[in-house]
Amino acid sequence: MLLTKSEEKALAGEYGESLEIAYRVLVAIGKISNAKRLIPIKWAHVSGVAYLTIGEFGLDFLKKISRTRGTKFRVFTTVNPCGMDIENWDSLNIPADYADRQLKIISYYEKLGIANSFTCVPFQSYKVPKRGTSLAWAESSAAIFANSILGLRTNRESAVSALASALTGKTVYSDLHMPRNRVPSKNIRIMMEKRDRKGLSGSVDYGVLGYYAGRTVPGVIGFQGQKLDLGMAEAKALCAAIGTTGSSGMFVQNSKEKLETIDFTEKEYEDVFSELSQTGEGEAIVFGCPQMTIEELYELSRMLGGKHFRKKCVVFCSSKIYEMARTRGYAQVVEEAGATFVRDACADFTPMISALNVDSVETDSCKGAHYMRKVHGVNVSLKDTGRIIEENAL
Amino acid sequence: MSLKVRAIVNGRTRGLVIYSSQPIAFLQGVDPEKGTVSDAKSPIYNQPFAGKILVFPNTVGSSVGAYVIYRLKKNKTAPKAIVNQTTDIITASGCAIAGIPLFDLPENDISELSHAIEISLDSNKPELVIVK
Repeated sequence: MLLTKSEEKALAGEYGESLEIAYRVLVAIGKISNAKRLIPIKWAHVSGVAYLTIGEFGLDFLKKISRTRGTKFRVFTTVNPCGMDIENWDSLNIPADYADRQLKIISYYEKLGIANSFTCVPFQSYKVPKRGTSLAWAESSAAIFANSILGLRTNRESAVSALASALTGKTVYSDLHMPRNRVPSKNIRIMMEKRDRKGLSGSVDYGVLGYYAGRTVPGVIGFQGQKLDLGMAEAKALCAAIGTTGSSGMFVQNSKEKLETIDFTEKEYEDVFSELSQTGEGEAIVFGCPQMTIEELYELSRMLGGKHFRKKCVVFCSSKIYEMARTRGYAQVVEEAGATFVRDACADFTPMISALNVDSVETDSCKGAHYMRKVHGVNVSLKDTGRIIEENAL
Repeated sequence: MSLKVRAIVNGRTRGLVIYSSQPIAFLQGVDPEKGTVSDAKSPIYNQPFAGKILVFPNTVGSSVGAYVIYRLKKNKTAPKAIVNQTTDIITASGCAIAGIPLFDLPENDISELSHAIEISLDSNKPELVIVK
């Protein structure tokens, strides 16, 4: 790799230990991805915040980095959700020793300098730069969204590589940063023959498609056949599910490329759906994997419109979106329906789900279905938001 | 005998080899307190690798494995260096934050090291010499 003089000096430790470590990470990743150089980024999004994901070992490393003198993030940095509502963990049955660990991790990130929101949908809370801008985003669902929907450029970073980018303001120029790599490697042809011309609709449908596509295509996915009809909720569900099952960092709609093509029919749909949805009904409802956007909270409040949930319902969103939803009156409608907001937390990696003390949940998220079962051992009933409300709110 | 290596994390070292024909999962497959592979199916199960050069094809499992490599270094149970067949992002980022020299083998099969007892590595050359 070709480094500038100042990058060489940083790698040699002349600007302090943290930058030395960060450049060592970028150079190591650059070498394994055959990159020739590093490029500046406008925005880093760092994962590895929830204690259930990084554990004691990650906590240890962050402690060291944040306590090394003069260490600060050099570029606008957002971070993923943590494992609990920071303001309100006590009343939500979060164990105190867990909370203590989680608050430590948060304090390390805050010391390094982060935007004041813990979110897996960072494109919702802050101004999105113009198309073609380079970023370094961990959190697969957000990276796929950035590449495929917003036209931004990022690889699917890991917690460590995104941290290195936040510390240096740079990333490795490779893979999805290079225009020539942003083309499909295989096509998925959507052929839901029993449906009308519209094909797929709603979060669950698009989540099932993404879960299948991510597992089937490791590189850039090309969709063809029935057209994708992506509102915010559908786009988010699709991106999150692709990230759950594979290594793909991007999809392209209306792929014209002549490539190996795999059909997605009723059969593939049913196989994935029955794998993710083990039960017809859940004891509690979970919304917000990835965290709910303002559009989705509007929809939720509109569908509820004075109804009350007959079972426990938790709604995950960032504190910033919660505030916005309160200003607009959506949050009040959802709360009056009996739902509990959990702010700044991740629905999958929180002790909250185990603390609900249920054996099954209902959700509209395929990513959530995958992780809640894996992490908390609950059965899942997958349904679109509208149907969940229809069946569970009066 | 010497082999061409690619240096992923720079360094120069010489040491005894601990060779595994099987991949390693750092999270939940390695005991960071003892510095051993804790997966009973591994050919190097329970053999301490601290201060030795750990040779294995690649890493599998969670990306949190990178932080386990860092923990090994902090516990002084880390290998002196790591040699892979093809290095992946988990080992690359883990060795980078821990400062453990890391190499992979673009031209040779890793099984050529299955009977090596001692090797030396140098990222300046860059080559791997089988000392004995």
